[in-house]
Amino acid sequence: MLFNLVLKDFILAKKYIVFIIIIAIAVPIYITASEVSNNGGFSGFFITALYLEHFLFATVSVAEEKYKGAALLCTTPYTRNTLVKAKYISGLAIFICAYIIYTITAFVVPMGIEKLNIFAFGSSLLIITIIWGFIIPTQYKFGYEKTKYISIIFIFTSIIAVPNILKWLNSKDISFQVAIPQIIQNLTPFVFALGIGFISMILSIQIYSKKDL
Amino acid sequence: MNNILEVNGLKKDFGSFCLDNVSFSLQEGCITGFIGINGAGKTTTIKSILGLVLKDAGSIKLFGKEISENEREMKNRIGVVLDEGYFYEDMTMMEMKRIIAASYSNWDESVFKGYISRFKLILNQKISTLSKGMRMKYSIALALSHHADLLIMDEPTSGLDPLVRNELMDILLEFMRGKGKSVFFSTHITSDLDKVADVLLLIDEGKIVFSEEKDMILDTHGLVKGDRALLNEQTRKLFLSLNETEYSFEGVTNKKTAVRQQMSGVLIERPTIEDIMLTYVGGNEDVI
Repeated sequence: MLFNLVLKDFILAKKYIVFIIIIAIAVPIYITASEVSNNGGFSGFFITALYLEHFLFATVSVAEEKYKGAALLCTTPYTRNTLVKAKYISGLAIFICAYIIYTITAFVVPMGIEKLNIFAFGSSLLIITIIWGFIIPTQYKFGYEKTKYISIIFIFTSIIAVPNILKWLNSKDISFQVAIPQIIQNLTPFVFALGIGFISMILSIQIYSKKDL
Repeated sequence: MNNILEVNGLKKDFGSFCLDNVSFSLQEGCITGFIGINGAGKTTTIKSILGLVLKDAGSIKLFGKEISENEREMKNRIGVVLDEGYFYEDMTMMEMKRIIAASYSNWDESVFKGYISRFKLILNQKISTLSKGMRMKYSIALALSHHADLLIMDEPTSGLDPLVRNELMDILLEFMRGKGKSVFFSTHITSDLDKVADVLLLIDEGKIVFSEEKDMILDTHGLVKGDRALLNEQTRKLFLSLNETEYSFEGVTNKKTAVRQQMSGVLIERPTIEDIMLTYVGGNEDVI
């Protein structure tokens, strides 16, 4: 059931898929070429993933708003609860796609794109979960039209701010390397991302269960 | 006959419009026509039954079980056709079918292909390119391919040409040949119901006006035509509605015997469903 709802989101965005893949390849190449610090692949991957999430999520949201297909789906055995869960799984699927595209690009393109380390992967997942953990319930509450500008501001601020914050931290030689085992440091962003994503999903389920379609 | 759907005390307040204590039941093996003018509350009632609009109060039982508590099980037993389709129009029919079909535990691909072939639909065609009639046929194919026991349709004939409407009525009659099947069919085009409906349910301003067997309603009412001179204070009371011109009148009555006795020379015809509907809408709350 969930798989087909996730597939639905990708079908809705299918006409932009080639364009999205090109951008997803171009962003890490650009980051590397412009010699911006990539922090273990973080900057290139984070911006790529953020861009993909934003573009695909916006495309699907516009289609949902326009066609109101969720109403039809709710007349079938798909429950509202399932639709919301599928939305979060779609987000995770997009993130994994971004990872696959980034990794292939890093291997194939001969210009030294940094391979993604697990901490950079987890940190990207955490920040993106925080952003969408806010955007998705807000959108369920107020609809896409009312929230799209908030999302755009949120995302583009993140694109500019996050790499610059990291760059500043590097320049100040501030390190988060404290006396915690490496494996725990690496896993911490995943645990937080999971927790935030779960809370956001529960919130979205509650909001959506009270909406008239 | 068993009650397949029971709605009791359904309330929904939108501020400018409300469903006011709507109660009715649908019997197994019947086509129930849900009639009323635009804005009477037909779509809101249907959306409440389907859980698309959240009720403020009341109970909706399908096959004896509260639908909100057994959503997945109940929705496996109903087929739904909505007036606006609500399809993702950028998808092809095949893509949309794949998503819908996956939700049903008893989806029957051979039945679906049978309908697609019968309706001459091409599954690789984009939904946005379908005519209104083709879209309706596609909706029907989706709604009937999982062996539903109850088919709920909201204004399915609105905007369709007479040929397609007739075809749709034939499909409904064919569907009803199956054991234990029922149809709940909202429309403001009442002529569609003349051919197929067993029971009529009239809603007006968010309230159920009547729920009766179609033949019973048509038999107990009469469309009376005659000379205006026959109307007086006494005879006017025999009519539920009256349209008068300078010389003649036309009115609907549910007191045919009294009309015959008191108004000799009038012509009493069998009314259409539309005559009945227009008689009872707009605040005329005389009980049948």
